[in-house]
Amino acid sequence: MKRKRFLGSMLGAPLLAATTLTSQGSRAGNRSQTSWRIPPYLKPGDTIGITCPAGFMTLTEVQPAIKLLQDWGFKLRIGRTVGERDFIFGGRDTDRLSDLQEMLDDGSIGAIMCARGGYGCIRIIDQLDFRKFVAKPKWIIGFSDITVLHAHLNHNFQIASVHSKMCNSFPEYPDQTEKGQWDSISSIQLALTGKQIDYPVVYDPANRSGFGRGILTGGNLKTIETLAGTGSDMRTDGMILFLEDVGEYLYSVDRMFYNLKRTGKLENLSALLIGAFRVKPDDPGDEFGRSIYNMVQEQTAPYKYPVCFNFPVGHQKVNYALKCGVMHELNISEGRVIFKEV
Amino acid sequence: MIPPFLKNGDTVGIVCPAGFMPAERMIACINTLKSWGLRVKIGKTVGGISSNYFSGTDEERLYDLQDMLDDEDVHAILFGRGGYGLSRIIDQISFKRFRKTPKWILGYSDITLLHAHIYSNYEIATAHSPMAGAFIDAGPEDPYLNSIRNLLKGDRLSYSCEPHPFNRRGETEGLLMGGNLTLLAHSVGGSSDFKTKGLILFMEDIGEYLYNVDRMLYQLKGAGKFQKPAAIIIGSFTEMKDTERPFGKDAYEIIRDILSEFEYPVCYGFPVGHVKENYALKCGAEYKLKIGKERVLLEEA
Repeated sequence: MKRKRFLGSMLGAPLLAATTLTSQGSRAGNRSQTSWRIPPYLKPGDTIGITCPAGFMTLTEVQPAIKLLQDWGFKLRIGRTVGERDFIFGGRDTDRLSDLQEMLDDGSIGAIMCARGGYGCIRIIDQLDFRKFVAKPKWIIGFSDITVLHAHLNHNFQIASVHSKMCNSFPEYPDQTEKGQWDSISSIQLALTGKQIDYPVVYDPANRSGFGRGILTGGNLKTIETLAGTGSDMRTDGMILFLEDVGEYLYSVDRMFYNLKRTGKLENLSALLIGAFRVKPDDPGDEFGRSIYNMVQEQTAPYKYPVCFNFPVGHQKVNYALKCGVMHELNISEGRVIFKEV
Repeated sequence: MIPPFLKNGDTVGIVCPAGFMPAERMIACINTLKSWGLRVKIGKTVGGISSNYFSGTDEERLYDLQDMLDDEDVHAILFGRGGYGLSRIIDQISFKRFRKTPKWILGYSDITLLHAHIYSNYEIATAHSPMAGAFIDAGPEDPYLNSIRNLLKGDRLSYSCEPHPFNRRGETEGLLMGGNLTLLAHSVGGSSDFKTKGLILFMEDIGEYLYNVDRMLYQLKGAGKFQKPAAIIIGSFTEMKDTERPFGKDAYEIIRDILSEFEYPVCYGFPVGHVKENYALKCGAEYKLKIGKERVLLEEA
């Protein structure tokens, strides 16, 4: 009821988007692929653009990613924001906005990889013009702060995108790289070329068994909380939701879960995937006394959908590419977890 | 709706709906309230046997607050401290009796959620004010503590402060509402969210990263909260943290830049926040705000 009141107070454009797309964002719509669009998969020779919509990154730091993406057969377009810096940002808002805008509009670019996360997407999201992108979708790649872009596509356009590691995680020496990290990087290639990814999900005894099928969505929990009530508010009805976070206090993560609950994001899920939560240690005397497990079990107790802990996503070496906006299913039974695109 | 003001001999209930607070930190507060001619009822969550962050289990904290809300012999509820915890119980609180016989609710920080919830759903005034801990180091003449007394007595509140170079001058009137930025951002999109059109909106915060302050402000902006308030009052933003690579602006500069596209009056450095200079404010009451060249004046209309 309050939500309606709030939507009514929003400005014309986002309101229009919100109302016209309600049916597509509905619970039923998110249990099938039909109302979601998948950008064309990439072939060798296609071009990937690299840009910094959030934090800064130097041209040197991007080299390992350039080399490997070229090894995969892709051409590259390096945005002007790579190597730019305005304090923590990869250039001023106007620079980051125009760089990303050009890549969204450029018909010869098939995918846009964000160089890294950090902070900054929310500062430019409302100025981006997605008209050409919607007419001719392409893959947007990244995670952490890039959750803003995934959520924006989820809320407004129902276009698939890739949640994955970014340029800052590409290894300089592939042969000296741990398998988990290497496989995670390789899964980006599989995602972009339309091949199935084999997700090695380790069974966790705290899992809640069951079967769930729905469009995949999710990302960084803090970022999802911060988008509540905006024109990029993530819709989760009928969907498989994955969550991860880093560097937050436990009490703050608990508050974020309450935000998800209070904005209705946990009640109609098809499944919930809990990735890595590398939390900040409690201050002495302020021991929170509750783990991420406790929080998730508490929040999901009223519902029946399957819950999977230890899912290979987050700010860690093992962070597999996930296709947001694409149908997946999760099956947890008899000590086994199967998660796959369907 | 404004709850009844307190008379001599009326009772103030003290509860801790969020973080733990040892009983001895409550003594100064109890003595001061008594010296004001009020009685004090101590809730079960004050002190207590909790060994973790919270002052009790969710159930204990909920029942304690619920008892105080429902008890007709309690005329105001003052919170021991904030911290974190109201989000966990707010949707289970029953406001049925409170709506029929409203009483003053006093607190800030985490308590912002309760102010927002009550304002949004019931349009009953509450008090954004110092809590029990603030009485420890304050003398009997402390103007900020006395502002609680004046509020409870029913005085017309009027505060002034020095102008800040970032101020955008002007005069306006509106209902006063606001609180802790983190909690305001946290409540957006849920059942405690409120519309800001025509409000004198105030914000304060403590201990957040500067980039996160920026992000929360962009959320509020994206949710339309800065479109049409009558004015904005910025309190203290203390103990801000920065990233290894500096954000490049302090909190006030961040706020100034985000509000630069609007034209309503804005003042900075108002005495509200996690500092000693924290006046009691009536959330949901009519105020007049004058941001002048020499003074800033906020007074009840």
